Amino acid sequence: MVMAEAARQMLDDIGVDSSRMSLQWASAAEAPRFVELITGYVSDIKSKGALGTGENEADASTLRRRLDAAVKAAAGRKPRTAFGMLAKKLGKDNDYSPEAIAKGVKAKVIPGFRALRIAEEVKLCLEEKGGLDAADLCSMTGASSEEMDKALADLAKKKHVSEDNGRWSLV
Amino acid sequence: MSQDKLKKENEMSGDARKEDFNPAILGFFCHWCCYAAADSAGVSRYQYPPNVRVVRVMCTGRIDTRFILEAFKCGADGVFTGG
Repeated sequence: MVMAEAARQMLDDIGVDSSRMSLQWASAAEAPRFVELITGYVSDIKSKGALGTGENEADASTLRRRLDAAVKAAAGRKPRTAFGMLAKKLGKDNDYSPEAIAKGVKAKVIPGFRALRIAEEVKLCLEEKGGLDAADLCSMTGASSEEMDKALADLAKKKHVSEDNGRWSLV
Repeated sequence: MSQDKLKKENEMSGDARKEDFNPAILGFFCHWCCYAAADSAGVSRYQYPPNVRVVRVMCTGRIDTRFILEAFKCGADGVFTGG
């Protein structure tokens, strides 16, 4: 449940319609119910269209890059540790209500994930086209200027990117 | 890969009308519950759309957020997890 909520919020962060992901329960004895669930879900996805064409969704080429960055970010130590600590806390408080889970994921897991996702996406953007300035990168990644400044500073510290008169490139 | 083939079919249908759209869906089914339900549905000859590609896991606890993101990255239009 916590994992599903984390995945949903990560998908929201990168601009995928998070209702494309569905978590349902069907026991081995509930074959007709399973058929209903699948039929309903497939027709739901059909009405949304292909990934990148739904309403409130980023376009397909942006999503491809974002998903690439997101997969790397989801493997990052910081969001994964935060996830583990959140699971521990929810267990300790014995509060698995949807509100508590959503609130916990939003506060603890997503900030680390988002920062990593923006950093990875910056690297991908610069790989596609070097010499971009911070404003370009903000519009490509959807980051605010503070988030972008921090991401660029961290990447520069690790010597992954370098600046030349306001224009950034991969090292 | 069959998913690429499906994408090509979707593009070649030209008009991209929603009724012709054939989504590629990845399904994570847990062995004891959902996979068994799907198996039972197959044996009982229930009809349902063929768009779900099934990955059997022993328990939905096995699933990580990375699986879901990777599925979308590889071209899935939807991810269905059955527990």
